[in-house]
Amino acid sequence: MENRYKSVFDIIGPVMVGPSSSHTAGAVAIGREGNRLFGGVPKKVTVHYYGSFAQTHRGHGTDYAIAAGILGFTTDDLRVPRAPEIARQRGIDIRFVEEEGPSPIGHPNTAILDMSDGEKKAQLSGCSIGGGAIEVRDIVLHGINIKPAGSLPIVILVDFERKLNHERSLSDFLKLKAPFEEKRIYKSHACYIYEYDIQNYFKPDLTGELRKKYPHIICL
Amino acid sequence: MYNHIKEIVADSEKTGKPISELIIEQECQMSGLPREKVWNKMKYNLETMRDAVKKGHSGNGVFSSTGLTGGEAVRIKKYIEKGHTLSGDTIMTAVQNAVATNEVNAAMGVICATPTAGSSGTLPGVLFLLEKRLNLTEEQMIRFLFTAGGLGMVIANNAEIAGATGGCQAEVGSASAMGAAAAVEAAGGTAEQSAQALSIAMSNLLGLVCDPIAGLVEVPCVKRNAIGAGNALIAADMALAGCTSVIPADECIDAMKKVGHQMPASLRETGIGGLAGTPTGQAIKAKIFGEDA
Repeated sequence: MENRYKSVFDIIGPVMVGPSSSHTAGAVAIGREGNRLFGGVPKKVTVHYYGSFAQTHRGHGTDYAIAAGILGFTTDDLRVPRAPEIARQRGIDIRFVEEEGPSPIGHPNTAILDMSDGEKKAQLSGCSIGGGAIEVRDIVLHGINIKPAGSLPIVILVDFERKLNHERSLSDFLKLKAPFEEKRIYKSHACYIYEYDIQNYFKPDLTGELRKKYPHIICL
Repeated sequence: MYNHIKEIVADSEKTGKPISELIIEQECQMSGLPREKVWNKMKYNLETMRDAVKKGHSGNGVFSSTGLTGGEAVRIKKYIEKGHTLSGDTIMTAVQNAVATNEVNAAMGVICATPTAGSSGTLPGVLFLLEKRLNLTEEQMIRFLFTAGGLGMVIANNAEIAGATGGCQAEVGSASAMGAAAAVEAAGGTAEQSAQALSIAMSNLLGLVCDPIAGLVEVPCVKRNAIGAGNALIAADMALAGCTSVIPADECIDAMKKVGHQMPASLRETGIGGLAGTPTGQAIKAKIFGEDA
């Protein structure tokens, strides 16, 4: 069994602005992963809610939380409740849609972020599993549909050279520094994408090291 | 990493180390962070909790923007000062701390989720009561949180801690079980007694539904944390007295998971069933969000 909670601070923590760890802090986390996947703040975001998120997002502050995450705020940032206003001032268009029916990724706390900025597009399907922890179970990037197991961290390398030697080098590096449960390879005409489900949270400084070594890497 | 409560108890008995120490060692090993950093992170969480408790019972208290909750921690404080509590000043002080924290949470103040925001009052309820009652040092209070968190990880990985997947038993029920076990350690009990306290506390809240009015983390969440804190202290006392749970801790956790999955969605944080579904609950929802909501 892969453990969904990997640190005592997943349980005692996060320090956050209320009112709900799954619907507020977890929603901030989903927004933040959207920001990381997109590589910054997108100009336009449509958020699709399913299940409990669709039913209770207004009462739980889920809207401002997702907006805060997209802006890159942390859960304990006092600006979290004002995030939609701050986003509007920065010219970012964020919309929220309550979807009916079951979550496409099979969890009652689901938000799917459709992000775009001109030509650039990405989609992230996240669910908030409790206590502020989240999973990312579906991603669309460069037109490729990626299906990670869900649990963070997730490492994604976009390889435009399509040669697989990057994959070998990254796999060897990760085996040494951040062992993974599973590796998936996706191929299209434009690029290859390598996705890794990492077992434990990254050791300090590891993401910096990864970014230096692989310019097109995404660490969720 | 510990996957079961029985492994933690066995390790504690073998090494003579308290649960808190085993969890600190596990965290250092898994995160790669030095002990001092791990310790200070928990200290920051403790300080956040202390600030929230203080804020909730200072002055006139805090109030949520809907007006549904607030000010009751102060009311309880004044009641205790009169000196005629029925369940005793100890229980009612824990209740005051728990309510204060959740009122701050409902008012969108800063809290520490333990394990969730909806259940963020239960542990501080117990912890800041024990600080007075047992004269706990800061070190002991930080250890309390490591013990609670380490056992909470086992609960979270084997069952649920979200109301949407497991009902309130997964939130306040888990928090109460964690608090009971950590209280035992703070009082000088054994790891085995901690496991017994966890089992007793969890068993007593099995089946608790998550039915927030208008989907807000206010009613009944705030008062359920009062019960979570009281239940934790009673379970800890029973375990320290030598009472045992017939069902072992790990099986109680499995039972909690199954009960949660058997609950209909209307009772899992959808704001549809239970208290949320009552005429008054529905009327409050309509008043806050409009008739079409």
